[in-house]
Amino acid sequence: MILDSFSLEGKVAIITGAGRGLGRAMAIRFANCGADIVAASRTVAQLEETAAAVRAVGRKCLAQPTDVARSDQVNALIAAAITEFGQIDILVNNAGIGEDSFGKRLEKITDEDWRSGIDTNLSSQFYCARAAIPHMVKRKRGKIINVASGYGLRGGKHNYMYACSKGAILQLTRSLALTYADDNIQTNCIVPGIFPHNPAMMEFFKGGKFIPVGRVGEDEDVGPLAVFLASAASDHINGELVIIDGGGLAGGVTPTGVAPGAAE
Amino acid sequence: MALPPGIKDFALTGKCAVVIGAEHALGRVAAVTLAEAGAKVLIASQEAGTAAALDETAKAIAAAGQKDVPIQVQRAALRADLSATADRAIKDLGGLDILITALDAPFYAPFDATDDSAFDRVMEDNFKSVWMACQEIGRVMLSRGGGTIVNISNVMAERGVPNATMYCAAKGAVRNLVRALALEWARRGIRINTIECGWLDDPERAETQPGEFSEKLVKYLPYRRLLKPEEIAGALLYLVSPAASFVTGESIAVDGGLLCRV
Repeated sequence: MILDSFSLEGKVAIITGAGRGLGRAMAIRFANCGADIVAASRTVAQLEETAAAVRAVGRKCLAQPTDVARSDQVNALIAAAITEFGQIDILVNNAGIGEDSFGKRLEKITDEDWRSGIDTNLSSQFYCARAAIPHMVKRKRGKIINVASGYGLRGGKHNYMYACSKGAILQLTRSLALTYADDNIQTNCIVPGIFPHNPAMMEFFKGGKFIPVGRVGEDEDVGPLAVFLASAASDHINGELVIIDGGGLAGGVTPTGVAPGAAE
Repeated sequence: MALPPGIKDFALTGKCAVVIGAEHALGRVAAVTLAEAGAKVLIASQEAGTAAALDETAKAIAAAGQKDVPIQVQRAALRADLSATADRAIKDLGGLDILITALDAPFYAPFDATDDSAFDRVMEDNFKSVWMACQEIGRVMLSRGGGTIVNISNVMAERGVPNATMYCAAKGAVRNLVRALALEWARRGIRINTIECGWLDDPERAETQPGEFSEKLVKYLPYRRLLKPEEIAGALLYLVSPAASFVTGESIAVDGGLLCRV
C-alpha cells in the first residue's frame, strides 16, 4: 500500500537546526509520521520547545545542544544518538545561518565572517555526514537530507557566503549519493525558496509578492517533502534536488507575474 | 495497522484523476497508486488497439478498491479524444483534480538517417500529446478552480544521448513546457510537475532487454540495476498530493543518482 511507504515508524532521525523554523517543523512532522527524534541546536531553550512538541505527539526526543560548526560537538551528537537509540536511520542537515548576512559589502566582510558562515552552513553538513554514515553503512540503509536554498542555484547581489555555501551543498549531496549508493544510503537535497523568518523579509515578500504562486513558503510546507525523502517512498531517488519554491526557479528571465504579450 | 496521523496529507480521498497512457507500465503504476491513495481514477489511452492492456490496468485499480473504472479508449483524433476524456471524467467521476500523462515513447536512430515522418511521430508521441493533454484537461481544471498535473518523462530530458536526438529533444521540450506552464497557471490554481525516470525495466523497452548495451549500461548505473516502474509511485503521490502545494514547475528524477554522474 502506497501510503504505508511514507511511514517513519521505527525510525530514528537526527535533525540539526531543530530549535526553530524549518527544522522544528520537520521534527514535529517526522514525529507525526512515527519517527523518534534527535534534535540539535545551539539554543537550549528553543531545543526544549521542539522536544516538548515531539513528545506531545507521543514520540521520543533527545535534545542535544550542539554547535554544528564544530566537528567535536557533531561527533558528540552522533554518539549521543547511538547511545540513546542504538541506530540512525535519517540525518537531516538543516542548520544554517545567513539570511541576515545579505547586503554586507564585499570589502566589509571579514575572514571571520566568511569562515564562520561557511563552517556553519557547509562544513557542518560534511561533519554530520562523516560521523553518521558509518552507522548507516553498518546497517546498509540510511537517508540523508541536506537543506540548501534557491540561492545555491542562483546568485544575488551582496550574497557571497550564503550563495557559495548553499551551492556547495548541492555538490556534497551528489557526491555522497554516488559514493554510498552501494550501501543503500540515499542522499538528497531540499531546495527551499522564500521562507521568510525575519521581519524585513516578511515585509518584503508580504502577500507572496515576487513568488509565482502568490504566497511565501510556510515552514510546514517542508515537512511532508522531508518525510517523503526520509521514507521508503523515495528509495530510488538519490542525489536529487527537490525545489520547493512556489515556482520561482522555474522562471527568472522576466519579473514574477510579468509576461510578454500580456498585462500582469 | 493504523497509519501515523502525519501521513494523511498524502492521501487523495475524494480526488478525481485521469491517467493518460494507462496501457503502459508507468501509467498503470500511476493509476494504481492514485487509487490506493483514495482517488477515483479514469484511465485513457492515445493509441488504437490498447483495450486489452487498459482492461488489465482497470483490474489492478479495482483490486485497489475502486468499484467502477471508466476507460476511455482512443476513438477520434488526438484533440477531440482528449476533450472527450475530460468531459467523461466530470460525468463519470464527478470531478477532475489530477492529470497524469504517461506518454513516453523512446525512439533511437542515427540523426542523419531520421526522416520527417519519424520526427512527426516522435514529437507527437512524446511532446504534442502531452501539450494537448495539458491544454484540454487543463482548461476543464481552470474552469473548476484548479488541479494538479504530473507528466511522466525521462532523464533524457536533462542530458544528451547519441542516437536519441529526437527523443532527447522531445523530452527536453516537455521539461520546459512544465516550467513555463507552471508559471502561467501558478495563480490560477494548477500546479504542474514532472517525474523523470531512469532506464526502465519494462518488457516494452527494447533497449534495456538483455544485450550488449544493457549489460554495459547496468554496470554504469549507481544502483547497478534498472528502475522498476513501481518505484516511481512515491514521487508521483508526493507531487499530486496536497502536501506538495508549494511545489510547481519542478522535476523529480527517479534514477538512483544517475544524473549526478559526470
